[in-house]
Amino acid sequence: MEDEAFSNISGKAISLDCQTHSSFCREFTVSSPKMSIGKVMVYTCSVWLLAYAVFFFTENTAVLSSAILITLTGMMLHIHFVKVDHESLLVIGSLGIQVSSSYASGREVTTFIEMSRIKDIVINEAVYLNQIIYYLCVLLKEPSEPNVVSSVVPLFQSSKPRLNCLAKVYESCQEILSKCQ
Amino acid sequence: MGQRRKVGSTNTPSSQSESADASKVHSRKHNICMVSDFFYPNMGGVESHIYQLSQCLIEKGHKVMYNQSTATTCFHSLPLLRCVFVRERITVVHAHSSFSAMAHDALFHAKTLGLNTVFTDHSLFGFADVSSVLTNKLLTVSLCDTNHIVCVSYTSKENTVLRAALNPEIVSVIPNAVDPTDFTPDPSQRPPDRITIVVISRLVYRKGIDLLGGIIPELCLKHPDLHFLIGGEGPKRLVLEEVREKYQLHDRVRLLGALEHKDVRGVLVQGHIFLNTSLTEAFCMAIVEGASCGLQVVSTRVGGIPEVLPEDLITLCEPTVRSLCAGLEKVIAKQRSGSVPSPTSIHSRVKNLYTWKNVAERTEKVYDRVAGEEVLPLDRRLRRLRSHCGPVAGSLFALFAVLDFLFLLLLRWLAPDRHMDMAVDATGPNGLWKENRKNSDAGC
Repeated sequence: MEDEAFSNISGKAISLDCQTHSSFCREFTVSSPKMSIGKVMVYTCSVWLLAYAVFFFTENTAVLSSAILITLTGMMLHIHFVKVDHESLLVIGSLGIQVSSSYASGREVTTFIEMSRIKDIVINEAVYLNQIIYYLCVLLKEPSEPNVVSSVVPLFQSSKPRLNCLAKVYESCQEILSKCQ
Repeated sequence: MGQRRKVGSTNTPSSQSESADASKVHSRKHNICMVSDFFYPNMGGVESHIYQLSQCLIEKGHKVMYNQSTATTCFHSLPLLRCVFVRERITVVHAHSSFSAMAHDALFHAKTLGLNTVFTDHSLFGFADVSSVLTNKLLTVSLCDTNHIVCVSYTSKENTVLRAALNPEIVSVIPNAVDPTDFTPDPSQRPPDRITIVVISRLVYRKGIDLLGGIIPELCLKHPDLHFLIGGEGPKRLVLEEVREKYQLHDRVRLLGALEHKDVRGVLVQGHIFLNTSLTEAFCMAIVEGASCGLQVVSTRVGGIPEVLPEDLITLCEPTVRSLCAGLEKVIAKQRSGSVPSPTSIHSRVKNLYTWKNVAERTEKVYDRVAGEEVLPLDRRLRRLRSHCGPVAGSLFALFAVLDFLFLLLLRWLAPDRHMDMAVDATGPNGLWKENRKNSDAGC
């Protein structure tokens, strides 16, 4: 159980929480920063000011009410589908890996990968928009062809921690994986 | 958009001791970024040059990374390139080929970022037609504040200096090389009852395929045991097919289509004579490969070709059908009388002429020299552009340089360097892979 200061690729602070349930079972939780009130204000104000400018010329009140609707639904959709509060990775040696991300609205998406399909966990680098980032990913294999990587599952996709954080998760994952092989 | 490839090497004890000795001469190792639009999977002269040079430099303990992209224009590549340069701690940016848009982009941005720049020119240009006038202008602008330029032959140096209005002192000549172990002669592959002429080049106008189309029927009429083996692909393939059709030469002229680099040797050793009909060539790798396989070389006397091989190994002709035919006749006669040197003796003479090790050593010297030079600060760079490239183009590109600098300041503010993770060296002098290779087969 430890908490250390890490940051994500754009320099915002995130926190990593490692929980050791047993020597074969570890859980890593990366929590993103909360949505800042300033950002919400900026987006809301810009939509409303734009709507007011349109209203000033057209004098149609439907513009104003639609602006209110847009900001409200936009905010709801954002917290339900986009904003991820924390992502966790549960590694259970001999059983598999569970990846779950919970959104700000409370929605949770969980996937489970069984051990027989996992080839390895690695840190890879990728071109992401206009920069190059490191990310942690699980390499999958088909049980019929154990030497071929069939697909790649990237981890911590929305929080995008930096290398020092990834390296920490990587090392303890490898510890568990090497024990059960 | 981009595809990257980073290569490292494990230092063997012997190379460590070597680098320890060498460190008195050149104190530091460079991090070099090779930039070009040309890279694997389409292998040509430029591609293999970059690849082989990189491999040799890595052996010397430098860190080389490679950057390639297909479509970029001016500004939008800056964020990505900056990210690459900062992450990999690049000290020297080495751009290749004046056809490559990304090479020019990278030079431009690298100078804005204050990195040392080297440019290698692989081709010759004319001065007359519209496209070369424009390319030459771009080259002038791009090279006027580049630290050092490398050309592959003296002809190419002359050409580049004239085209880009450069000071000849900052232009070096470093030829290309071939890997002699890849191109060894094997006379047993030659069919005994005939004489085979091998041509390997892209089938395009620049390579003089129209001349070849004139030579084939003339020689085939005179010598019934003459066969042609033509490797390569291109728009001028039609010309050769027409010739073959018209004179009914299907059994004597074989068109092999595009060849992979590894298959080239297998084709070369089947022949007795290597023919090169290029109309312009900065440095012809193909004739060195041909000679290294022990073939008699006949070539046109254009560009840098006369510098490449010693006179007794090559027959030079004017780029006309008649002159080339006369040259080929002479070599065929020699071949029949058996007065040509043996393939093994030709190979042993050629194999030490052009080696990548030598190329890498000379390139290293260029890097050492460049690393000691200062990069022009913005104000002097602007003055240089204005004074060197004419009032209109100079001012325009000075404006671009200022905009690029402002864009860089914006990027530094939006995404500061400290938020970028430094790239981890998997192998090489400080490689991480040696100790934890066992736990991770494919990682990090």
